[in-house]
Amino acid sequence: MHSPAAGQTLPLIHVAIVEDDLGFRRALTEAIESAQDIRLAGVAGTRVEGLRLLLSAPADVLLVDLGLPDGSGIDVIKAAVRQWSSCSVMVATNFGDETHVIRSIEAGASGYLLKDSSPAKIVDEIRSVASGGSPISPIIARQLLARFRQIGAGGAGRPAVPDQASQLLSAREKEVLELITKGFTANEIARLMSLSPFTVRSFVRRIYSKLNVTSKAEAIYEARNQGILDG
Amino acid sequence: MKPGIRGFWTADSARISILGKAANEKMPRRLLRSVPALASLVFSVALLAALAAFLSLAVSGIQRSGECLHLTQASWQDVETPGFSAPPASLDSRSLPDAWHATALPLTMHASTPTDAHRITWIRLLVAGQSATESLALYSVRLKTDGPIALYINGKLVYRAQQHGQQWNSLFTPLWVPLEPGVADVPVREILIRLEHTSQYPVAVSSLWLGPADALRGRYQTRQWLQQGLPAMLNAAFLAVGIFALFVWFKRRHDSGYLLFFNLAVIAFAAHLHYYVDLPIARDWFGWLVVNSLCWLLTIGHFFLRLLHGRPLRWLSVGMVAAPILIGVATLPVSWGLPNTQAVLGVIYALELLMAMTVGLVGGVCTWRSSPEGRLVVVAVAICVVLGMSDWMLHNNVVGPEGWFLGAYTNGITFIFFGLLMYRRYVNAIEEVERVNASLAERLRLREAELEQSHQALREIEQRQLLSDERQRLMQDMHDGLGSTLISAIRSVEQGRMRDAEVSQLLKDCMDDLKLAIDSMEPVEADLLLLLATLRFRLEPRMEGANVALAWDVKELPALDWLNPSSALNILRIVQESIANILRHTRATVIRVATAIEGAGVQVIIEDNGQGFDVAAALWRSSGRGLQNQQRRAQAIDGKVAWVSGEVGTRFTLWLPLQRGNLMLT
Repeated sequence: MHSPAAGQTLPLIHVAIVEDDLGFRRALTEAIESAQDIRLAGVAGTRVEGLRLLLSAPADVLLVDLGLPDGSGIDVIKAAVRQWSSCSVMVATNFGDETHVIRSIEAGASGYLLKDSSPAKIVDEIRSVASGGSPISPIIARQLLARFRQIGAGGAGRPAVPDQASQLLSAREKEVLELITKGFTANEIARLMSLSPFTVRSFVRRIYSKLNVTSKAEAIYEARNQGILDG
Repeated sequence: MKPGIRGFWTADSARISILGKAANEKMPRRLLRSVPALASLVFSVALLAALAAFLSLAVSGIQRSGECLHLTQASWQDVETPGFSAPPASLDSRSLPDAWHATALPLTMHASTPTDAHRITWIRLLVAGQSATESLALYSVRLKTDGPIALYINGKLVYRAQQHGQQWNSLFTPLWVPLEPGVADVPVREILIRLEHTSQYPVAVSSLWLGPADALRGRYQTRQWLQQGLPAMLNAAFLAVGIFALFVWFKRRHDSGYLLFFNLAVIAFAAHLHYYVDLPIARDWFGWLVVNSLCWLLTIGHFFLRLLHGRPLRWLSVGMVAAPILIGVATLPVSWGLPNTQAVLGVIYALELLMAMTVGLVGGVCTWRSSPEGRLVVVAVAICVVLGMSDWMLHNNVVGPEGWFLGAYTNGITFIFFGLLMYRRYVNAIEEVERVNASLAERLRLREAELEQSHQALREIEQRQLLSDERQRLMQDMHDGLGSTLISAIRSVEQGRMRDAEVSQLLKDCMDDLKLAIDSMEPVEADLLLLLATLRFRLEPRMEGANVALAWDVKELPALDWLNPSSALNILRIVQESIANILRHTRATVIRVATAIEGAGVQVIIEDNGQGFDVAAALWRSSGRGLQNQQRRAQAIDGKVAWVSGEVGTRFTLWLPLQRGNLMLT
């Protein structure tokens, strides 16, 4: 990627989309048409097409719908995390509801995009996620806090996940999540914690990737456990 | 089917399944598991065997019979005497009348016609010189007489017994005369036995053994132990078990068998005491006890049998109580009691024998078919009768004096048979407990299964109820909000009365409604703040579009445990409506959302800096449906809404209780 030039010229963001909903595809196309710095690099309508798309040159941002006609977008997210490691994956969702979003984050997504967002909002979110930030909602923040609390209290009930300590939340990450559950926006949190708004959003990205690592470790651990039990 | 009956059958099947499982186990494993038990059994049996071997080695003198003289030839004579007299310290047998009759030993004599006269029976044994290399002893199974006994060796008095007449245990105690060195240093040539007795007493003398004390001691001790030691042990054990039974009875008063067993043990103990005590036989209380306890024993035996076969047998019972009382009173050692003569004793023993046979026979007839335990008791009674008769025969010289008084073993027999009985009871009781436990476990399992089933059913009903409630709630919400908005939108679009922007706004409102409905279903964990945060998150895009600043001034709130999806949606709608009203009807530039604790509840405060409105009028007007809706929703969750409106803005408060009485009413 080019170094940020002075003035108007921003680094170009390549966006790919795996979505069968033509309406949203059109809305996205229209939204990024107005942005100079965003290009649509690839479009896929099914899971299979999406997986094929991943064989081409990586985009910077990949938008994935979970309900694809031939399967779950989760598979595409997982494959994208492996094959386009530098790419930020966003799940496109109607409601941003906890089940969809958390599952996507566990699979490796860096954020989500509400399909009814205004064109300006869509462009903003794409820029934000491309620059290393992640969106979050109060309910998702609460869910994440609960997840990490469970892992933290792991000793007794849950299986010990290897390399656990690195996956726990730092005090500041936890503080960010708690403020989000109280309804404060990223800007307000930045003010309260004397950070830049971007830092707050990058905190969220870090928390997401911790959840991804944790769930991967858990999956491996559980698979191994299962193997031992079965064997 | 009654639970008890079912329990009974299922318990059986459960037991069978357990047995089946046990049988399926692999053999080596079972063997391995039984090794410790087997080892301990072998150890204990080996210990007993070793003890027996050791004791038999200790009495191995029997092996040395060759060194002993078995004296089986003697001569005797009977001399009449006015009464019992002390024997002289030394006596030359030649000073006695030369009226010796040669005889073989054992010698039994039959009672002559009863007179008041006393007699002395002399028995002379000539010994062909016994060299004395070690200390000698004289041993005999018994000397049977009711008067004093004196024994001379080479004319010197060496032993006296029964100086005050026969003692209770005399007949069961073998003769053992150690010959002191002063006596034994010369070879023993002559043994003279002086037996004083009443004329009617059947005197008897068993054969004598003379030899080294160590060689003879085995014989003596074996005899002593078998005739006295072992029966005494059995007797004591019987009494101990009887006392145990008494304590069982203390706890189980309704179970008279235990008390009866205690009685049996005590009476049997008393009845057999005369085998071991060396009191002189006399017409006293002890003698009375010896004669009568046998009677009582039979009475107890009868009642025991009656307990086992369960038939009242009224007349026999009366007889079995009356006879001992009669005999007891008749034989009282008082002046008017029956004299203690052989004839009277004979009658009493005959009566007792009759009682025994009646008890045994009637008991046998009654229990033979019905009660295996009763059969055991009858067999025991029969054996005891036979043993008692053997005693009688010995007493009356029907058998020789070298026989065994087996009557001493009746207690042992009783003990063994009642022990068998108790063993059966005990094992049966344990099995019964196990069966009952198995049945209980099975019933418990069934009950649990039933409970689980009904629980499942309840859960299903609850689930259905929950779904139905949820459906109703969503239906209501869709009907009030989303549905009516969409209908008016459709109508407006069809009639062309609405601009595209307006339609778009209307649909966006619908989308917001929908999102909030979805959010209301997320778990908010009793956190009102999270609910408000969610609302803000959803409304943020619209507020940004309306150019209204939002001051988020919330404070930590206590948990509202009653916060469920239904009440959450009501709260969301109330606050949503409030903000929508501000955006729609006022020209506010700032909205402040705050929370506070107020009394027994919490408050959500929404202030704006718009132009305000007439609250009373707005509530009155039909167009104030939004406000009425807020009121209605607040009431549904036991909350309150209030508006204070003025020139500088409006302050809306929603008060919610911390606790709610009945959640089911929502």
